[in-house]
Formats: sequence, C-alpha cells, structure tokens
Amino acid sequence: MFVLEVNGLRKSYKKGFIPKKQEVLKGVSFKVSSGEITGFLGANGAGKTTTIKCVLALAFPDAGEITFFEQGPLSLDAKMKIGFLPERPYFYEYLTGKEFLKFYGQLSGRFSSVVLRSRIESLLKRVDLWAARDKKLKDYSKGMLQKIGLAQALIHEPEFVILDEPLAGLDPDGRMTLSELIRDIAKEGMGVFFSSHLLNDVEKLCQKVIIIKNGLVEYEGGVQDLLKKTGGRFRIVYIEGGVQKVHIIDGNEGELQSYIDQLRRRQCHIIEIKSDNTLEDAFKKIGLGS
Amino acid sequence: MRGIWIIAQNTFKEMIRDRILYGLLIFALLLIGFSLALGQLSFTEQVRISANFGFLGIHLSTVMLAIFLGGSLVVKEIDKKTILTLLVKPITRTQFLLGKSLGLILVMLTGVLGLGSILFLVLWMMSFDVGMGFIWGLLGILMEATLILSMSLCFSTFARPVTVASGVLGLFLIGHWLESLEFFIKKSDSVIYKMVGKLMVSTFPDLEVFNWRSLVIYHETVSTKQALFAVSYLVVWVSIFMLIASFIFSRKDLG
Repeated sequence: MFVLEVNGLRKSYKKGFIPKKQEVLKGVSFKVSSGEITGFLGANGAGKTTTIKCVLALAFPDAGEITFFEQGPLSLDAKMKIGFLPERPYFYEYLTGKEFLKFYGQLSGRFSSVVLRSRIESLLKRVDLWAARDKKLKDYSKGMLQKIGLAQALIHEPEFVILDEPLAGLDPDGRMTLSELIRDIAKEGMGVFFSSHLLNDVEKLCQKVIIIKNGLVEYEGGVQDLLKKTGGRFRIVYIEGGVQKVHIIDGNEGELQSYIDQLRRRQCHIIEIKSDNTLEDAFKKIGLGS
Repeated sequence: MRGIWIIAQNTFKEMIRDRILYGLLIFALLLIGFSLALGQLSFTEQVRISANFGFLGIHLSTVMLAIFLGGSLVVKEIDKKTILTLLVKPITRTQFLLGKSLGLILVMLTGVLGLGSILFLVLWMMSFDVGMGFIWGLLGILMEATLILSMSLCFSTFARPVTVASGVLGLFLIGHWLESLEFFIKKSDSVIYKMVGKLMVSTFPDLEVFNWRSLVIYHETVSTKQALFAVSYLVVWVSIFMLIASFIFSRKDLG
C-alpha cells in the first residue's frame, strides 16, 4: 500500500524587499510504500524540507496533489496515523522527557492514560532515555533531543513516519540506536520517509531513494538499482595459470559482465567480485554530490 | 475540545514559568502596597484610595499580560518551531489558537484571583464591607483582558510582537477614551471631527463597557441588563477577532 503519493507538487515563495517569486518546487512527484524505508536526498536548498512541509500542510502548495494511505489529502484521521520529526527539533524546554511524551500522546488521543503510561515507558527505554525521563528538556543534549523527538513521532503508534534529518548531530552510538529503531519500525510494517545528508546511513538503511534536484525529482527507485545504473568500481580477484591476479573495472554492470565472460573464456577461476560503488559515488555521477 | 484543553494546559504551564508574568504580578503587588501607604495619608478617603490603586494594579497587570504574552503566544511557537510537531497531531489550526488563548485566560484568571484575594484582605483589614461590586470589578477586568487578548492574538497572526504590542496598546487607550470622544463629538461644530469621531466610536471596541472597578466603593452592583450587554459585547468582539485570526492563520505557511 502507498502511504503517501505526491503528484506535481509546486511551491514558490516571494522573497526580498521588492518581492520576487522564487520557485522552490517545480512539479515534484513520488510515492512511498508501507513497510519500506525511503530516503529523501538532495543538496541544501533542493527543496527537501519544503516538500515535507507541503506534505504535512505546514506550508500550502501552489499546485499538486497529495494523497495519504490511498484515501485522500491530509485529514485529522490521516494525522492520527502519521508521525513527524522535524529538522533540528526545538521542544518545550520546561517539560521533562516523560511530560513531553505525555503531552504529545494526549494530543494524539489514541490511547487511554493507562496504555499511554506504559507506551511512554517502553519508548523511553527503546530510545535509551529512561534514565533521563525526569530531566527537563533544556538539560538534554542535541542527541538526546533527537531521540526524544523520534519517540514523540512514534508515541501514537503511527503507520507512517516522516523524519527530517533524524540522524544529523548524533554520535556513532546514537546513530546506531536510532538506525536500529528505524529499521525495526519498518519491519513492523510502518512506512518511513526520511530526508538525510548522510548518504552512508541512507545506503545502509533505505530500500528506496528519492533524489531531488532544483525542485524536481531526479531519481526514484531502489538503492541497488541506482548503484547498478550509475555503475562504479568493481574489483575482481581471479586465478589464471596458477597465479592470483586482481583487475579493477571502472564502469557499469554491463562492462563487469563482459569482463567475467572474458575470464570464463580464458578458463580463469574467479575468486571474488567486489563492488566499491557507494551512494556517494552514485550521487556524484548524477551531478548532485560535492 | 480535548485538543484545545490539552494545549491550554500546556500553555498555562509555559506561562507560569514566564518572567514577564512575575514582573507584572510584582508591579500589581507594589501598587496594592502603595495604595495602603497612600491610604494612610487621608483618613476619610483611605478605603477609596486603597481600592482604586488596588484595582488599578490588577487591571494594568492583567491587561499587560494580555498584550505582551498574548502577542507572542503564536509567534513564539513559530520562531521556536515547536508548532511544527504540534500541528501534525490531530488538531486543527483553529483549535491550536483557541487552546493557546484559553491557556492565557487561565493564567489571567489565576492572576486576577490571586491579586483580588490580596486586595480583599487589604480592604477587609480596613473593616470595609466588600460587596458584590468587588467581584464584578474583578470580572470586568478579566472580560476586558480577554477581549484585548483576542486582539493581540489576531494581530500576531500577521505582525511581529513589537508591532502587535504598540497597536494593541493604542487600541487599549482608544477603547477607554471612546466615551469622552462621544462627549466631545456632541459638543464639536467641526463636521470632519464629528465624522472621524463617529467612525472611531463605531469601529473600535469600547472597553469602558467592562469598567466596574469603582462599584465596590459605592456598594453598587451590576444590573442584569448591563451584565448581559457586556457578555454579548465581549462574545461578539472576541468572535470577530478570533475568526479573523483563524482565517489568516489557516492560510499561513509555517516554519
């Protein structure tokens, strides 16, 4: 099932003393499925956050269609099934971690107070903040805020979560904890849509990526498909005439296959084929990387 | 309703930690204290002076709360980006505005009740028989502050807090000056003065409708007709400001 379908999304802002129209989104279209982690990639200013804001009705698009759960636009019912963690989240500093989750849990109105209490406890433990539950948020570190923010997005057991840069600013431990959590919730059937600059994490986590460039979707598809499509560096280790040799191919999968055929014809014994292509390489090849 | 109440509770929690609140409460307490000192100077007018200064302190501090905290209620949420996670929860933007307003009204109610109790004690210590006029005086202050809060909130949907505060402060002064203006219109021969004056009287909310602060001195009370008019007046003006606020805020890009 598609948890989100975006079609022809356009958005412009007027900026400057003499307002000048600036088109940020020029017809963005993509789909997000349930039970899948979809990465949303793009350079700074490509339109990632604007897209997310339009999707969540925090900003109003000039044109386009947004459908949730194959039913219709964002309604109060749809909001019950959606969780959101914004980029660089700011929360009510005077609340403790527990009070904070209680506030958002009550707002979602999905659980009774007894169920909510146990849900808060389990989520705080899951994001490794149980020990800091009675601490005020103003005393939380950036990583802790990111974790409590994710817990807030999950407090009402949504079917779809949108995470804007969830792993930014976290230490390796924190990134690992959150990555595992994101992987787990997708396994439970939740759709996860997350924007990130950290290509390494996207590559490890996502089954699918959507790449946005200058307000348009440049690529939408599987991560592996993108790696194959953009080619890369392959390292082949083989034995020919009793001697172990290494050959490097800078090219796509087709070139790799033809070299393998060549080795077979030469009756070589292939020991190892390793792809060195990363999402970062793919990103550079389609003109998005630094 | 549940969403409005939850936001109101959170706003109340937020406000009672705000320094401005305590600054204004101290200001009101100082005025009440000052009223005691002034009262000592005049034997016959002691109660009158104490009651006037006491009510002035409660009135000004509550109105300032409505102007300054009311004007930053929504802007603060937008600037700190806390609104982004809030509005994604199953509540509407109008419910959000209503919840924030209700939270501040609860803060003002607490302030009026707290300061009112202190003033009551002061008057009681002077062996003054406080009647229903005292309650009406406090209620009038709360009603006026509610109207001013709705103005602040409405203007804050399209202007920055400093502009909102200046504008609403102006409307507050005009609102207490309209009765005098009407008097001068009757006396004036200038057509333009009459035209502008009448336009102002019919356009701006008259805040003197809620001025029941001197009733306590004369042991008077508010008639049912007066009370009903004041309540209707409040409901109409608050509805107008809240509708405009909701209309603008529902179309605003956030973040």
